Amino acid sequence: MKIDISFLKHIAELSRIRLSKKELKKFTPQMRTILDSAQELQNVDTEGKQPMKKYVSFSDLREDIPKESLKQEDVLKNAKCKEDGFIKVYGKVFGSIEES
Amino acid sequence: MENDKYDLIIGLEIHIQTKTKSKMFCNCPTGYFHKEPNTHVCPVCLGLPGALPIPNKRALELCVLMGLATNCKIDSEIHFDRKHYFYPDLPKGYQISQYKRPVCSNGKVELSNSTVEIERIHQEEDVAKSTHHIEAGTNLEYSLIDYNKSGVPLIEIVTKPCIRSAKEAKEYATRIRQIARYLNISDADMEKGQMRCEPNISVQEKGKWEYKDGIIKPIGNYKLNPKVEIKNIGSITAVEKSIEYEFNRLTEALESREEIIQQTRGWNADKGITEFQRSKETADDYRYMAEPDIPVIDISKEDMNRISKKLVELPNEKIKRYVEDFNLSEYNADVLASDKDVSEFFDGLVNALNKKVKDIIVSAKLAGNCVTGTIFSWLNEKGISLSEAKLDLNDLVQWNLALNSGEITKNKAEELLRISLNKGKDLSDLLDEFKQSAKDSAGNIKDIVLEVIKDNENAVNDYKSGKKASLSFLIGQVMQKTNGTANPNEARSILMEELKK
Repeated sequence: MKIDISFLKHIAELSRIRLSKKELKKFTPQMRTILDSAQELQNVDTEGKQPMKKYVSFSDLREDIPKESLKQEDVLKNAKCKEDGFIKVYGKVFGSIEES
Repeated sequence: MENDKYDLIIGLEIHIQTKTKSKMFCNCPTGYFHKEPNTHVCPVCLGLPGALPIPNKRALELCVLMGLATNCKIDSEIHFDRKHYFYPDLPKGYQISQYKRPVCSNGKVELSNSTVEIERIHQEEDVAKSTHHIEAGTNLEYSLIDYNKSGVPLIEIVTKPCIRSAKEAKEYATRIRQIARYLNISDADMEKGQMRCEPNISVQEKGKWEYKDGIIKPIGNYKLNPKVEIKNIGSITAVEKSIEYEFNRLTEALESREEIIQQTRGWNADKGITEFQRSKETADDYRYMAEPDIPVIDISKEDMNRISKKLVELPNEKIKRYVEDFNLSEYNADVLASDKDVSEFFDGLVNALNKKVKDIIVSAKLAGNCVTGTIFSWLNEKGISLSEAKLDLNDLVQWNLALNSGEITKNKAEELLRISLNKGKDLSDLLDEFKQSAKDSAGNIKDIVLEVIKDNENAVNDYKSGKKASLSFLIGQVMQKTNGTANPNEARSILMEELKK
């Protein structure tokens, strides 16, 4: 994978984070270092090793029983904007990050 | 819809909210319809940091059940994945879904003239409901979000691109809805968003493509035309209409050499057209990864056996049984099987009759005609459903028995049934009254026969000179004079007896 400015721009857009040209330039080498470090894992020889997975049996899954939820006022406590019990989000939700 | 030059290729994605009491990964209640916003939410379905999802057993059972009903292969393990995208209706920043290993795969659904291949059915969670507005005064665009729907169990059923007409797509969607309702997997009400259909369609030149290994491939150096996805379909009818519209739009665009881009379009039911929503020039980038918060779930043989027991007879099988066992017409069988309540009512009627009659085929046919004929037209007039009508099964059993034994003619029987339905009179009482007056008139039936012979000299002479059809006329006269209470078989034998003299 080529880690360049356009890659970083793409990732930022997917995450809905607006980065200036200066920031893109600054973060690209940093991102490369992070991903290179993670890439080290690929060098481990896993030949013949079982993948580490946790299993649970179907019968032990959660039974379908509804329980009480949070109170509306508590739910909305952390919301920056709210209206009539809804969480209010400004901006055009469709469209790209440049437009919003 | 047929076109000389182009073929229509359709794949259908159907989302169904399954019928559970609690959400997919938390205990919040699911019934959000008409509820105060943001009152059915908790740290898990709000995606608060540190909250852990715990899968709902019943939801996964319903997903497996849908797979069994559509002849899918069921995986022995359930693996969840994270599908990442940022949008206000998805508070975690990812949706828990399934990517590489769906619970169910490679199924098929039989339609009247074709088979639809199912690629996969996987389990996921629904997102929040958002409505979009423009703020008065500031003119700013904003959205209002209600997280009650967030985390409701959702299954996605994906077909291969093997559907070839709008009509076939409609039939398939109808069949899927039927199966979901029969098995109580979902109410699958499209208006309420419990079932959502998204067709993927493309138009290709005839002879330039082939369907192989579940995908559409170009022949030679033909370049396949891009796909269009249709969203915002609110009814089964709109599935057919929107595809028809899009097929015409695409063929016209191709004919006038317009460039077609891969895009998502929304169906506008009021205008009967599709409208451009967004282009899909870049491939979606969801950065799937295995969901680390949910262990792999083992499905044992015992689990499968337990779930398969919930499979009931499906519409296809019912239609086959009605036609083969009871000799019903395809049309009547289809009408009776199309709705679960109706078919259960009919099955109940036939089962009750089966204990009392020798020839169940004749009785079942009568019962079928009675339900699809007199009862259905009455329900239509009243605008109510069969379950709302609360008909008495025992009354109808008595009614069928009387008709079966020849105690009452078909016309008279239907008349009594209509009176009972329209005036809310007890059908058994009406039948009893009828039988009593039949008994009363039985004594003088011979007198009436003699009277009819006397009054209809011409018909009598015709009969005697070999015109057998005249006998029916004479029986009809007897029936008329007794107000339909006479037993037609008895009238016939007495008439023949007297005419020999």
